Amino acid sequence: MTQPNDRHDEAHDHAHEEIGRSGRPGYYDIMETAVRELLVERQLIGADEIRRQIELLDSRNPALGAKVVARAWVDAAFRARLLADGRKACEELGISFYDDTQLIVLENTDKLHNLIVCTLCSCYPRPVLGLPPDWYKLKPYRSRAVSEPRAVLAEFGTVIPEDVEIRVSDSTAMVRYLVLPKRPDGTDDYSEEQLAALVTRDTMIGVVPARVGQEAVQP
Amino acid sequence: MKDDAGKTAGPLTGLVFAPGEKPIFRPGERIRIATRSPIGHYRVPLYLRGKTGTIEAVIEPAAIDNEEEGYGRNAGTKRHYYRVAFPMTEVWPGYEGSPRDGLRIEVYETWLERR
Amino acid sequence: MTETQDLVKRLPNDIGGLPAEPIRQVDHALEPWEKRCHALADVLDYHKIINTEEKRCGVEALGAEMIGKLTYYERWIVAFANILFRKGILTPEALARKMAEVEARWDAENGGGKEGAAHRQD
Repeated sequence: MTQPNDRHDEAHDHAHEEIGRSGRPGYYDIMETAVRELLVERQLIGADEIRRQIELLDSRNPALGAKVVARAWVDAAFRARLLADGRKACEELGISFYDDTQLIVLENTDKLHNLIVCTLCSCYPRPVLGLPPDWYKLKPYRSRAVSEPRAVLAEFGTVIPEDVEIRVSDSTAMVRYLVLPKRPDGTDDYSEEQLAALVTRDTMIGVVPARVGQEAVQP
Repeated sequence: MKDDAGKTAGPLTGLVFAPGEKPIFRPGERIRIATRSPIGHYRVPLYLRGKTGTIEAVIEPAAIDNEEEGYGRNAGTKRHYYRVAFPMTEVWPGYEGSPRDGLRIEVYETWLERR
Repeated sequence: MTETQDLVKRLPNDIGGLPAEPIRQVDHALEPWEKRCHALADVLDYHKIINTEEKRCGVEALGAEMIGKLTYYERWIVAFANILFRKGILTPEALARKMAEVEARWDAENGGGKEGAAHRQD
């Protein structure tokens, strides 16, 4: 079976070294440039399309998801719409979905803790969270989140009581997931903006709960 | 079919649906994941083959089989994906967590058998 | 016999439930070429030149060794090349010539050549 992809970190260090020394593009960088230029030359894609898509990708980040969560925390009707149709509710807030995916938002409660994973590849709610972290795409998380979620959560410092169900959603098709974390205690007088600051990427994957004072700690 | 002016028409009769257009399974139904072992592109993990679960939701609209799509077949008969629920204890012998813990996964209609 | 059947029946990316190490919470900011590669995937999908599922299938087809040794976006770009060859959109020769041209262009623009070659990763 494939080994955990530790090699990625090595390769990345080599790439950094190389760029530091001469800035010369590596083999795969050259391959990407060549493929792209050939496709543009043959008019199968436009050069501007790549540029535009990079801008789109750069504009997607966890702050969007945090807005959605904060709104759901303060507006019960919005929360109901969000749980009924995640994509449509995000679009209400101006967060467009540029692909064919749907979104199911998974609400954490006192009795239920949700966790998301893609064991087969790296499906992730990119339109509303941006790109996933490396650990989400590597073997240890993908193989163990689905079979030993409690041990996985413990590695993130999250302990869920045994009488609370852990529910793991494994993406395989066109549905993507977003965890709606529980609103932390002691936030009754927080503004929506202050609430959004508590909602980090990892709370929406489900590996950690949202916590007051946690936002300062997140990288 | 005649209906009174101003009243909502009753169910249409004689309406024919495309193959696969109507979902075969409904929420709450018990199903089993098929035990076939295809080679080539598949989207039902091995850990789930032969397991028994419950339909939680029908995903709309009907869509292309992604196992076919992987080979470039973007068109053809559409069927439904279903969000299926499995207890963790059903999926993993000797599961070391709470007996309440569960798994959810999308599965295409072609992989589901009535229990 | 059974051992080789199991290899064939399990896709190299089908790892749910397999034993694995503790999670190291690693992440990195994408290199510019990686971001371009991701954008390329999205654009190819929009045009249905290579849809997302074809990409996944193409990465699986690289096989366990390459999947284990290439990084995430390295797998994507090699898979794209293979798929484009299979579809007759590009030929291996055209890609090889273009890659040489890209390299030569960089060297010319950066006063490279022999000096640059000395630092090459491969």
